[in-house]
Amino acid sequence: MKHLQVLCFLALLSFSISMAAQSGAPAAKPATPAPQAQPAPPTIAADVDRQVSMLEREFVGAAEAMPEDKFNFAPASLNIPGSEYKGVRTFAEQVKHVAATNYLLWGAITGDKSPLESKGDNGPDSLKTKAEIIKYLKDSYALGHKAAKSLTAENAVSTVASPFGGPNPMSRLFLATFSVAHAFDHYGQMVEYLRMNGIIPPASRGQ
Amino acid sequence: MKNLSSLCIAALFSFAVSLSAQASGSAAQAKPSTPPTFSSAIDAEITNLEKQFVDAAEAMPEDKFNSSPEGLNLQGSEFKGVRTFAMQVKHVAADNFAIWAPLTGKPEPAGINAPNGPSDMKTRAEILKFLKDSFAYSHTAVAGLTSENALEQVEFRGSKVTRLSLVILALTHATDHYGQMVEYLRFSGIVPPASRMNMQMQMPMPPKPAGK
Repeated sequence: MKHLQVLCFLALLSFSISMAAQSGAPAAKPATPAPQAQPAPPTIAADVDRQVSMLEREFVGAAEAMPEDKFNFAPASLNIPGSEYKGVRTFAEQVKHVAATNYLLWGAITGDKSPLESKGDNGPDSLKTKAEIIKYLKDSYALGHKAAKSLTAENAVSTVASPFGGPNPMSRLFLATFSVAHAFDHYGQMVEYLRMNGIIPPASRGQ
Repeated sequence: MKNLSSLCIAALFSFAVSLSAQASGSAAQAKPSTPPTFSSAIDAEITNLEKQFVDAAEAMPEDKFNSSPEGLNLQGSEFKGVRTFAMQVKHVAADNFAIWAPLTGKPEPAGINAPNGPSDMKTRAEILKFLKDSFAYSHTAVAGLTSENALEQVEFRGSKVTRLSLVILALTHATDHYGQMVEYLRFSGIVPPASRMNMQMQMPMPPKPAGK
């Protein structure tokens, strides 16, 4: 899919560096020239947080692009001859699943838990409307930023208990980066769901 | 998609850590797990991704390798100009080389032609080899990653970015396309390999320590 993820990454990186450089600039021109503001040195927290921001923008944008009346769409309903879509997630379930997994993975770093219980793998059953699901999704990214910002060179490869209950602990770096990759897997699926409904994903528009 | 990817990855990760521990000595001497390093934490993710992605690519038969949802002519859909399955695989392979190359300190290998891959590469066998080679290259590139050099800036497509940014980009870029390929497989009547059964059942999970 022509979604320009790589270009978006570079654009966001440039923008972030620019903002960082500008953030220390005074509002009014000083009597004597101030030293040129230097971009903040890169940190693990800033690097990972930038990726969380990029993911958040693309993922939330895609989720919001699906109208309310199609939010429970699943490809099985298309009855494509020869296809195999039995039991696959609806669009709403994709979003809920990713939000709940965000809480699980990032929460393992911060010690936070999802405010809502998920009995299965599709997120909280109590969430029904598009507005409720989008809010839960956005709130999960707030936790993502908190987790990313907690990373340091010292603690990145230190481990925490596996949120999946496995016997081996997981490094914070693995949890932080895998959570982003996991969401992009489902983003790729949601892109197809959107296009099946005649909707070009926001990140792919203008190409 | 009920592909159980989170659980699969977790199980596979546990398995990879277990194997890593066993590789460094005899079974009797092996520790329960080896403390992760910057490169091993990321390399485990590459291994997970490689397994899912290559399996998905290989699951598409030759006669459907150039399929695209545009060819379904679904009423009301918008698939004009999207990549074919083959183009998705070639694109990810080419960008794997391009994104990982700056970590090596050397130019990307000749003939990669990122982002779309070599135009004269047509067959499924050629494309699968290109893909596998790109993941082998990824493992090589990440081997030198440390907490010290992860934040050093390298040149990528005209911008200065940290090695760590490129690492995350490479992983997320490929998983984005993996998610799309899952749908291509499904509309072709193929359940993605990672979704065929609960992989937790396949993974040799060590028992929990007594008392916990």
